[in-house]
Amino acid sequence: MLPARLLKDARYFQIIFQSIFLTYGIFVLHWKSETWLYATYFATSLIVQFACEWIGGNKNIPLLERYRKGIPSVLISSFGLSLLLKTHEPVAAILAATVSILSKYILRINGKHIFNPSALGIVAAVLLTGNAWISPGQWGSDAVLVFTVLSLGFIVTTKVQKIDVSLTFLGSFGGLLFIRQIIYLGWPVDHFIQSVSTGSLLLFAFFMITDPKTTPNHRVARILWSIGIGCAAFYLATFRFINGAPIYVLVAAQPLIPLLDKLFKARNFEWTPSTKMTIQEERFLQTIYSKSVM
Amino acid sequence: MKQKILIIGGLTLLSPLLYSFCGFYVSKADGTLKNKTSQVILVRDGNRNVITMYNDFKGDTKDFAMVVPVPVVLQKENIKVVDPSIFQKLNDYSAPRLVEYWDENPCNRHMYDEVATVADKSLNRMMAPGKAESREKESSVRVEAKYLVGEYDILILSAKESTGLKTWLTENGYKIPPNAEEVLDPYIRSNLKFFVVKVNEKEKQKLNNNFLRPIQIAFSSPKFMLPIRLGMANADGDQDLIVYAFTRKGRIECTNYRNVDIASNKNIPLFVQKNFGAFYANLFTQQWKNEGKNISLLEYAWNVTPVNQLKCDPCVGNPPAEQDLVQSGVWWLYGKDWNDYSDIDNDEPDNGDRSVYFTRLHVRYNRKSFPQDLMFQVTPNTENFQARYIITHPASGDFNCAAGKKYLQDLKERRKKELQELTRLTGTDLSNWQEDAMAKNDETKIETVQYETLIPVYKETFPDRDTGPVGILFLSGLVLGAAGFLRWKGII
Repeated sequence: MLPARLLKDARYFQIIFQSIFLTYGIFVLHWKSETWLYATYFATSLIVQFACEWIGGNKNIPLLERYRKGIPSVLISSFGLSLLLKTHEPVAAILAATVSILSKYILRINGKHIFNPSALGIVAAVLLTGNAWISPGQWGSDAVLVFTVLSLGFIVTTKVQKIDVSLTFLGSFGGLLFIRQIIYLGWPVDHFIQSVSTGSLLLFAFFMITDPKTTPNHRVARILWSIGIGCAAFYLATFRFINGAPIYVLVAAQPLIPLLDKLFKARNFEWTPSTKMTIQEERFLQTIYSKSVM
Repeated sequence: MKQKILIIGGLTLLSPLLYSFCGFYVSKADGTLKNKTSQVILVRDGNRNVITMYNDFKGDTKDFAMVVPVPVVLQKENIKVVDPSIFQKLNDYSAPRLVEYWDENPCNRHMYDEVATVADKSLNRMMAPGKAESREKESSVRVEAKYLVGEYDILILSAKESTGLKTWLTENGYKIPPNAEEVLDPYIRSNLKFFVVKVNEKEKQKLNNNFLRPIQIAFSSPKFMLPIRLGMANADGDQDLIVYAFTRKGRIECTNYRNVDIASNKNIPLFVQKNFGAFYANLFTQQWKNEGKNISLLEYAWNVTPVNQLKCDPCVGNPPAEQDLVQSGVWWLYGKDWNDYSDIDNDEPDNGDRSVYFTRLHVRYNRKSFPQDLMFQVTPNTENFQARYIITHPASGDFNCAAGKKYLQDLKERRKKELQELTRLTGTDLSNWQEDAMAKNDETKIETVQYETLIPVYKETFPDRDTGPVGILFLSGLVLGAAGFLRWKGII
């Protein structure tokens, strides 16, 4: 069945969940729904993606076919921008969307793009234009239950197997916060819960840092890498008072991935696991086959 | 229907202003210590902060004492007293407003005008009885500095542990609320200093006035926050805090609590004019409850740069003038860095931008919903916002023409919507407003469209509406639907 096959691709889950988050934000949390902003993110991303495929894509596959295959990723990064980046300046919105898509085509090493598209788009818009901002408080912390359920649902259903990234990030970031706030400073427990139950943090932990295309391929590398992000984000948030620290740290940590991939060898991630055999496997089977025939 | 506006002028009801800053009162005598409402002006640019705290203290000034956690040991030049009228000005300027419109008679055109009114926001009063004397004593507490500023004796203390601080304050004649320790320890370990204020009677007498002037402190710190947790130590129930903030860039917003805009631009029944203060108080409480209480509500946001022409629309109070801004602590107006405060770690050169952006936030906090201090950030958001409510006067005369009949029909429909909005916004039953509706002579003589007639008709049909659970239900439905679909397709 077509829909069933489509949903085997984890990206469709992500799109469903992200659209639920956006709906929740607008209807339950009463965000000012900035329709033009969301439209700008999506339209710019789709256009830039098309231009990129047109100019630089794999010419062996028809243009529209290539473009169609990339659309889910474009939607995901546009949702990422819609959920996290606020601005009143169309220029900032266009810049964010353009940077996020372009980075996938231009900033590549070993066939993988380096940066998480929406994270890079957000950082670029905030730092370059000065007219965009991240609202860490926009989710509040009542949404925590909803988020946990949805996020777990996402992880369980998608079987992307990058839950290790989320958990180690949350473990290191939350663990350090716990040590600092409760053990060292002596705040009551609800003070700590308030810090870790914000929607922004969970959204980051389950939907941004987990992007399998921009995490190290090897499990050990992934774990080390996400612990590093957790620690650095903790430092910046606690001692440098930087809002949205995890996103900045993520962007800064992504250029390390090619290095980590070199140190820890593993196969590249594919969104739609190919049923094709590797060359070695094919050769192996061929040998067996030819031998048995003879 | 055409509506025309003409602003006659601002009718400002005297608002009883607020009390105490987020610190707690300490006093020697026993008695109920409460500080229910605070007003504070925050000025922030880069890492620099100017905080002005206002105490409309009504008791014997000998009994007044206040403790505020601060991140650095303040120098004398960085502590000032300012005129309390600045708070009244800012409150008048940014308070929620009621605007009036006049319908034109479609059969007979005539005059119109508009008046703007501010909400008489009766904020809870408090008294802090008791008295405080201070004497030096050796302990784990260090007196980092001691100043006389205006009518205040100011001490800056640092401490190693809360017991020592508690003992010190008690021994020096301050009474500490019993559960203050919960927050004192974290503050001490965060290396905060304690800014302890009491009134110097000699200086006070020289001034020959019967109020306490606001205290303004200036310091550099990357932290942009207000320590509200200490204020919860001796306050039971909910406390209101109004934050007036000035930045160079744009609005401020809370980073660790949700920011919500107060419901605005709503059409409400004419008779609310009589009791606008109560209407707004109900509206605030209703929205605060519906949104889950742990929120910061935006009441006003506008560009108040001196050269900017339009600082409000409509204006209910004079926009802050240049000297008001300077008085509030906006130091960048005249191109001088840091004004006349001592220039502690002045590493950032003045960038020449004279913009001033104003934000008014209203936070109602309690221990349960606000486990953390308020943390803020300056955003580049420069969108204007005001809490504005609209009443519309009906046309008079006779409505015998065709358009007139249509008008009456529309009027009835509009008033139905106004009544509905009233119950929705305030969470009150229509019967609560019946008295107000009766007391105010309805301007229309047509009985079928009078509020008095309409209220009994709609009383039953507009029950209290709580939007919170509806949202949750809606969302749960979506999730369950999606999950069900996936299950049906055999995917999960």
